[in-house]
Amino acid sequence: MTVLARVCDAACAFEREVEAQVRKARSDATAAAAWRRRWGQIRERVPLVETPTGLKLPRLALPQTDEPGEIARFLFGEGLPGEFPFVNGAYREMYLTPAAQSAIANRPSAISEEPTRLFAGLGLAEDTNARFHYLTRHQKTIRLSTAFDGPTLYGLDSDADGVFGKIGEGGVAIDTVEDMERLYANFPHDDEHFSLSMTINGPAPIILAMYVAAAKRRLGPRATAKLRGTVQADILKEVQAQNEIIFPLDASLRFLTDMVEFTTKQMPRWYPISISGYHIAEAGATPVQQAAFTLSNGFTYVELFRARGLDVNRFGPRLSFFLDCALDIEYLALARVCRKLWAIGMRDVFGADERAQLFKLHTQTSGRSLIAHEFKNNLTRTAVELLLAYANATNSCHSNSADEPFTTPAEEYVRLAAHAQAILLEESGLFKLMMNALAGSPGMKIVERAVEAAVLDEFRELDQLGGVLAATELRYQRSQIQSAAHRYEQQINGGTRPVIGLNRYRATGDSPEVKVVRTPRAKKQLQLDRLEKFKRRHRADCGRALDQLAVVVERGENVFAELIKAVEHCSLGQITGRLHELVGRYRPLI
Amino acid sequence: MNTPTLKRSAMRNTAGRRSPVRILTAVPICDGHDSAIVTINLELVRAGFEVIYLGYHRSVRDIVRAAIHEDARAIGLSSYNGGHVEFFSEVLNGLHRAGAKNIGVFGGGGGTITPADAKLMKLRGVDEIFFAGTPLVGIVDFVKQRYAAPPRVPLNKAQAHIESTDLALAQELTLTGTVSNRRLVPAIVNRQPQIVNQTIGFTGPGGAGKTTLIDELVLRFLRARPRGRLAILSHDPGGAAHGALLGDRATMVYAQDDRVFMRSLATRGRSGGLSTGTRGCLELLRRARFDLVLVESAGIGQEDAPFARGLVDKQIYVTSPEYGGQLQLQKIVMLDAADVVVVNKADRPGAKTALAEISQRLAMNGRGQKLLATVARRHGDTGVNELFQEVLR
Repeated sequence: MTVLARVCDAACAFEREVEAQVRKARSDATAAAAWRRRWGQIRERVPLVETPTGLKLPRLALPQTDEPGEIARFLFGEGLPGEFPFVNGAYREMYLTPAAQSAIANRPSAISEEPTRLFAGLGLAEDTNARFHYLTRHQKTIRLSTAFDGPTLYGLDSDADGVFGKIGEGGVAIDTVEDMERLYANFPHDDEHFSLSMTINGPAPIILAMYVAAAKRRLGPRATAKLRGTVQADILKEVQAQNEIIFPLDASLRFLTDMVEFTTKQMPRWYPISISGYHIAEAGATPVQQAAFTLSNGFTYVELFRARGLDVNRFGPRLSFFLDCALDIEYLALARVCRKLWAIGMRDVFGADERAQLFKLHTQTSGRSLIAHEFKNNLTRTAVELLLAYANATNSCHSNSADEPFTTPAEEYVRLAAHAQAILLEESGLFKLMMNALAGSPGMKIVERAVEAAVLDEFRELDQLGGVLAATELRYQRSQIQSAAHRYEQQINGGTRPVIGLNRYRATGDSPEVKVVRTPRAKKQLQLDRLEKFKRRHRADCGRALDQLAVVVERGENVFAELIKAVEHCSLGQITGRLHELVGRYRPLI
Repeated sequence: MNTPTLKRSAMRNTAGRRSPVRILTAVPICDGHDSAIVTINLELVRAGFEVIYLGYHRSVRDIVRAAIHEDARAIGLSSYNGGHVEFFSEVLNGLHRAGAKNIGVFGGGGGTITPADAKLMKLRGVDEIFFAGTPLVGIVDFVKQRYAAPPRVPLNKAQAHIESTDLALAQELTLTGTVSNRRLVPAIVNRQPQIVNQTIGFTGPGGAGKTTLIDELVLRFLRARPRGRLAILSHDPGGAAHGALLGDRATMVYAQDDRVFMRSLATRGRSGGLSTGTRGCLELLRRARFDLVLVESAGIGQEDAPFARGLVDKQIYVTSPEYGGQLQLQKIVMLDAADVVVVNKADRPGAKTALAEISQRLAMNGRGQKLLATVARRHGDTGVNELFQEVLR
């Protein structure tokens, strides 16, 4: 029996337990009185907020019931925000601006971090650095999110054969630790509220090693323990959907586990993996497939890390998740289902404590839902998706720019995307006043139950195939995603899936010329010059460092600490090149 | 150049029918967005094309080399990660340098390729760029109209500037692949002596890992023979009346090398794992400048034995441990014909039983057939090392 079958069993057992609690609350007078008493206390504790027009409202919306069975169903089956099984939210309090916070009595006035986290990366390191400063200049807490260019994502140097055109396109070009220093220059890396995210997978351990090395250069050897952020490093979804894996899967999983082992012990504030459904969805998966494959990948990582001897209560709280939010109605409750199933699996299958049960979620609005035709409609698409994401109590969120179907976003559209979130969270009264203002409607609950049942069915299918790793090798997830993508295309082609401006209400005439952001040739050349200088300067040390790395790899020791040393003298491509010789290349699944 | 030169006009007369149009498709380097191209591949196959799919994250060099080896009529590129203006230009330049400028190039990239980019790319020689929202049928219609007929430049004229012997060999293979063996083979055999003394045939059921195994052998060959050259003739199923998806190249990593010549053939409705053109192609390859020729059949059934006497020097039968039990083993004809039997995926449960059962079966033959256990997907697998020694022996 694979872990997924055990999660299914645990989820069913939980449902039975909920029903038992409901029955007991209705039939047993003592139990009923206890539920009523607790309900009364909870309601009393909810602080009041005042709307700009003077209306008083509770900060947390609770179901309007006094019936003990319904109270039990809510408190036991869904939980308050921050309580098992976390259907309504991972944390007790969310989306509170400091101003609103002080208006609420009895709350400590610690800085609440803003949920906005915008993904950026373009050109060379200094260009992205400037964009980061632009994006965060009004933020009280700085949260960066980094996109890398194609060569970096595939572990290649900018001087690799035939990649010149891709340098700095769609993300930032990083070849060396010196690029990494430039990328995050003038940010407070040791500040308690600073955090950064790096979207990279195949070469993730090498890139994180570069970040650690860069931080040590700047802040001294003791900086490591203070660093806070996320590296995506989700290699399973690469095999299943996104195709940015460079080493064979077993070697990739070993390097990942090495990194997780290191960060668990030495970087307590780091999230060493972001288990991602986003790319699974963007590759064509249905919302249910996105949730099922992401959760099942997550449980598989937990098994792997435990097999290394790591404690689930130590690495568990450092796992986080990343989901897509598109316009399909399933997204009305997708994150609610994920939080619940993750918590049940972690508690009942892996025996994890509460901090390790939290499905901490970053959401990004759907890139696939955006189109180039009459692209300003994308502003509306993104706004609706944002609303769905926050209605699902996401912990942080990226809103796409309207011009993304054809370019790395121009500043104008990045600004509009950021402001969409500000309008929703600051201008609108929805979440800043009543944090769960849209939660718990009958529609949401019906979607929730349907999605949960479908996700569990998908778990059973994966279990039948022998679990996630066996199914991945059999190309199960890939073929499921591909056929879903095919169906989606057919629906758009056939008009049964309306896309405004594309297959409905299409404008006549040529679309106006759009402004695109590209990296100029001279910049690409500058990157090559810098790389050449670095390689020349470190020629002697590089060979030695790579030999030392090879020894560690061959001995089966933890490579991550060695990578931190190697990046001082070696470029990304030099390191991946040597690792390829040692462990081979990834063979694509088609 | 050791490639025998056949009179093209004579070949066309013997051929009597035209071969299906071959299109190579790929996703550029540092780009893993394969969802669009996978859909387009299927549509092109349905429309009767033989599609050779090279996969994603492929360099200009790999794409140009493959297009030439496969004698593709055109290259379709799906690019979503930027840098397309440069990448498409480099592909065109590469084709030019190789004397293969009659191979067409078309592509698309959703919204990432702007109308202005497309204009520039077409100016540089790209035949067509498709934008987001183009219906699939529009792409298929274009490919039919533009590439179904032979290229406008007469072939012999285009060949006037050929510097690449691979290109000439590839074109000869196309002609050979379309004519009947009986007429052609004596013509080739009589003209030139055989150079290659080792032609190895790989066969076995679909999904046993033949392609992966061959790719791993290629890695070992390239390391062991720093100047050696190797040819692969690979077969994929395809009906007589419709197209075929030739996807072996997409899963190969080490075979993407200038010292490896690879050609994919569709079985074109012939059962048994090979194509009518196989014998002729093999005779050509044996007479070209290679040190080793590997032939991979399409997945076969129990009673198939694709390599009739004399077609290859050594026959290797590859199976996974899941062949269905001892009784099934008795029916597998290749277990009698093979020189070497390989149980791949030997890390799977049931591998021990499989090895014991097959070993018993081979002992009954009393021919001293070799039995090896491999895990081709494991880097540096010792079983594959042993197989490599067997191949060279």
